[in-house]
Amino acid sequence: MTTTVRWEAAESTATPPPPRRGGGTSWRSHRRRGWALLIVAAIVVSAVASGVGSGTVVKAEGAGSLLDFVAAAVSPRLDAGFLALTGTEMVTTLAYAVLGTALSLVIGLIGGVLGSQTWWSSGVRSGRGRRLAGWMFARAVLVVPRGIHEVVWGLFFLVVFGIDPIVAVLAIGIPFGAVTAKVFSELLDETGRKPYTALLAAGSGKWSAMLYGLLPPALPDLISYSFYRFECAIRSAAILGLVGAGGLGFQLALSFQTLRYHDIWTLLYALIVLSVAADYWSSLVRSARARGRRRSRNGDGMRRDPLLTVSLAFGAVLIGFSTWWVGLDVSVMWSGEAWRFGSQLLSQAWPPSLGDGGFGGLLRLAGVTLAMSIVAIALAFGLGALFAVPASTPAHGRDHRAARALRLVAMLGSRFVLVVLRAIPPPVWALLLLFVMYPGILPGAVALAVYTTGVLGRLMAESVDNLDARPLRALRAHGASESTVFCYGVIPAAAPRFVAYGLYRWEVTIRETVVVGVVGSGGLGLVLHHQINAFDYSGALTTLAALIGLTLAVDLTSAAIRRSLR
Amino acid sequence: MAEPIIALDDVGVRYGAHTALAGIDLTVEPGERIAIIGPSGAGKSTLIGVLNGTVAATSGTVTALGCDYRRAPPRQIRASQRRIGTIHQRFDLVEQLRTVHNVNAGRLGSWPFWKAALSLLLPRDVQRVRATLDRVGIGDKLHHRTGDLSGGEQQRVAIARVLVQDPVMILADEPVASLDPARGREIISLLLELSEEAGVTLIACLHDVEMALGRFDRVVGLRSGQVAFDKRRADLLDEEVDALYAFERASGP
Repeated sequence: MTTTVRWEAAESTATPPPPRRGGGTSWRSHRRRGWALLIVAAIVVSAVASGVGSGTVVKAEGAGSLLDFVAAAVSPRLDAGFLALTGTEMVTTLAYAVLGTALSLVIGLIGGVLGSQTWWSSGVRSGRGRRLAGWMFARAVLVVPRGIHEVVWGLFFLVVFGIDPIVAVLAIGIPFGAVTAKVFSELLDETGRKPYTALLAAGSGKWSAMLYGLLPPALPDLISYSFYRFECAIRSAAILGLVGAGGLGFQLALSFQTLRYHDIWTLLYALIVLSVAADYWSSLVRSARARGRRRSRNGDGMRRDPLLTVSLAFGAVLIGFSTWWVGLDVSVMWSGEAWRFGSQLLSQAWPPSLGDGGFGGLLRLAGVTLAMSIVAIALAFGLGALFAVPASTPAHGRDHRAARALRLVAMLGSRFVLVVLRAIPPPVWALLLLFVMYPGILPGAVALAVYTTGVLGRLMAESVDNLDARPLRALRAHGASESTVFCYGVIPAAAPRFVAYGLYRWEVTIRETVVVGVVGSGGLGLVLHHQINAFDYSGALTTLAALIGLTLAVDLTSAAIRRSLR
Repeated sequence: MAEPIIALDDVGVRYGAHTALAGIDLTVEPGERIAIIGPSGAGKSTLIGVLNGTVAATSGTVTALGCDYRRAPPRQIRASQRRIGTIHQRFDLVEQLRTVHNVNAGRLGSWPFWKAALSLLLPRDVQRVRATLDRVGIGDKLHHRTGDLSGGEQQRVAIARVLVQDPVMILADEPVASLDPARGREIISLLLELSEEAGVTLIACLHDVEMALGRFDRVVGLRSGQVAFDKRRADLLDEEVDALYAFERASGP
């Protein structure tokens, strides 16, 4: 149900503080109008900056190869040898995702406890100042790993460890762990604190008190979020393959280089199957959780869910199997060689240096990256909203049977499209777009937009499903037609949420510009990739710092706009 | 005379501009049974918090079991807290856990972390938990999910949790406020019996004056954060009790 939405919101870096009292409604609508103007201006500027309408974007001669590629969809390569390879790589990608998620949960649990206000606000003696400092420090430590995309971590660890399964596991586990820690700490803070303080009052240690008093009530939510993370980890594992960490993504990259369309399709189908399966499992677990929550609110008490138990047991088995499958050997982490490479890399990176373009060049690159993210999110917002309405569950209207059937087909069709759009990671979309577009910012933006449409469309459809039904019923009772109900009931209620989700996804998109940068679409991501390939680590550190700064700026802007929406 | 188990000297608690407690002097000898009464908002819960060390006094000194909360090292404070059991109005149990774990939670102060973690999978000291639950009258509920028990049963689990702590003092913060009167009287009787049997000091905040005047030796009246009276039950006059609540009645809605 609403859980995806809930998790998306929880992951956002800057949670907007509650709206200030005073100021009045006119002042607020004034502010809102100001933001709206600013957003429109930003989209127009970004579109112009990324080359819309400049004529040198579309590569007409590539249309033929794109048609060939599309035609190959019906005849993927299905010989036994290739299928076996695809199957093996599929399991490898799955194993990376499982192990990465497992690591992120360990980090998330420890970081979540240390980042929670509950942890710091207990104890008789420690002063207010010290507690606040401890909490802020724990939160601050988590900001940097969260601000760096998995792919950047992947590139870094590839340098340190070479090709080794530990690369993918760490690259997924560290940034995911930081996000998980942030969400976990908020979940723990939402949980009733009384049993925990009661245990502390009885002289219990903090960790034991957390274990008995705070974790059991929070556990269902923690598990639900973990499954959502796993769903995301599958996509990240595929992307990491593209930069050389092995798995489906790696095979995809090879097939793209040699333009073997039939191979590409087999791999894409495998990726879609894996992604849809993870999606389905995760949403099954999470909707079971949502049902349990509703039931416990009704006072029926919450029973242990068999689905949850089976899923957890299966997850544990998967972790063991994955470790064996990829031959994970954590001892490479403290091998002398890895340390030598690591420290060498760091000493070369420090002090950071500016590239040829100087500070102005860096600013220009940041601007380009920003433009790419704005174009992407504006496109995805429009497309997502378009798909969201048919993808939402139809109301039980007085429609004709034929109309209802049509509506059902529309729902299933749009849900299918959305699932496919988000199953294929943005860099793969970018590689596909490069058939018909010249390399540049626009193909990157469109690739991000296509993928983000899949995610946003689902979020928006969920929010339409969760609209308060009462006003809609009232409108129908007045004799309003379905289209009138839609204009007067659905749009006004859903629009602010749509905008909020759009803003959340903008925060994610600015991070993901790195990913399409890797396949040659401009901006900071492309430069970063070049610098790492050219062993220019001090330059890469500067670019990375710029990227993190940009990410933070976007987070703060988004939080400010969301605040004015409330 | 034995050393007092509790000694409060001019204790005050302020939350920002709000004064919850001011100028509290209170000495408690081992084995005493004290009822604390007063209108809501008088500072009863804050006083309990000060006694078990979850609320820090902003002025004055708090000495519990010979340990000065303000000066003692954390280790020593925890050692004191381990011997003080607190029972809360809303029980403060973890509803998702089985009864056995909620009772064992009282031992967390003396268990190392690994033992606490292991016990969630393989419950430790089950015999002792069963015996304690028998003592509070719900021996058959060992493996029930705590949230499924009735209010009275849950309060008994909370009492069992305190008992396995082996306390020298039990603090009860409105222990019966969320129970019906009959259950409430049962719980109070149980607490008094247990404290008499083991010679444990009992301090209970009660909103119900009848219950407080019934079987406690000493009654402390609190009003707007200050001690209005502190007397043997036998010396207490009805007018004094009425005066304690008079202000509330006059200004109440």
